[in-house]
Amino acid sequence: MSTSIATLVDRTLTAFDALTAVAEQVVDETQYITDLGLVWRGRLNAVRAARGSETASDETISAIDAASSEVARIVDPHRAIDWLSTLPQVALVALDEAT
Amino acid sequence: MRFQDPRPDGRAIVYARIQADPLVDRCADLLADATTAERILARAVMNGESTDAAVWRRMFPSLFGGSADADASPQRARAEAILAASLAVAERGEQVRSQFRGAIVEALTERLIARRTGPVRRERRILFDGVAAEIHPYDLTVEATGAAEAWDCKWGARGIKADVLHQLDDARRHAAEDGERLIAGLVVFDARRSCEVRLVRERGASGIAGVRLVALEGLDRLAGAARPATAES
Repeated sequence: MSTSIATLVDRTLTAFDALTAVAEQVVDETQYITDLGLVWRGRLNAVRAARGSETASDETISAIDAASSEVARIVDPHRAIDWLSTLPQVALVALDEAT
Repeated sequence: MRFQDPRPDGRAIVYARIQADPLVDRCADLLADATTAERILARAVMNGESTDAAVWRRMFPSLFGGSADADASPQRARAEAILAASLAVAERGEQVRSQFRGAIVEALTERLIARRTGPVRRERRILFDGVAAEIHPYDLTVEATGAAEAWDCKWGARGIKADVLHQLDDARRHAAEDGERLIAGLVVFDARRSCEVRLVRERGASGIAGVRLVALEGLDRLAGAARPATAES
């Protein structure tokens, strides 16, 4: 069964949400975390709107799964904040999109 | 306007040892010629949990997958070298790798600026007549008359803070008052979007126009080059 770009964007956003939950332990950065969510969710949703129906390659599926697994291992909230910036970039590179 | 070495302190002595580590030079040399995707790889690995290279190869198919250049190509070799060097940083442990990452961004920035102008100096203060000396030195300066530059280097957008921005603003303002030209800015090894979010939070939407920011995707601008995000060197 084929996997669409929309599905991969959704997987990335699910991982992003989980990462956000870890990051939010840093109370002083709540606003920054919220702002990061706004801009990166917007960027990823734009990819879904433009290319969501495309079928993803096996390599791209594997890349998004690897990135999602990597961020699922993060328990340090400060590292999680850094990855709120890095995860979308990694996903965009995997999706062959401008970062 | 004049430049001066800061008084040495304990932090500087410890940090100098990190700056002199061959791994910092190795990473900076590799990243100076890297593509944006390779720089994102380095950032992810140096800040990652996994130290298994196979995980990272899987995560970056454009660099290591079947669609990437053939195994023997220089591009593939460079991506492998960046991965290996980044893993070496990650394996140093959390506290040490944090210091390494900062030193790497400085060394990388130094190399890129040196391709355009120089000499590039490290850890220098800028003094103005009648103005109290700044506490913190700039990471990098170019002290050419009429074309001076001062740069602060940050690993991530969270390093963009009010005190850093104030110091850059003050330097620019005092230089202008002295009739000197000074480029003062921030180099951040992080996504431009994230840096802008941080800047807007610190300065407001109207305040970011005055800040010279070079983010991860635009690092080659420091060398005077504009390179497409996916181009190879």
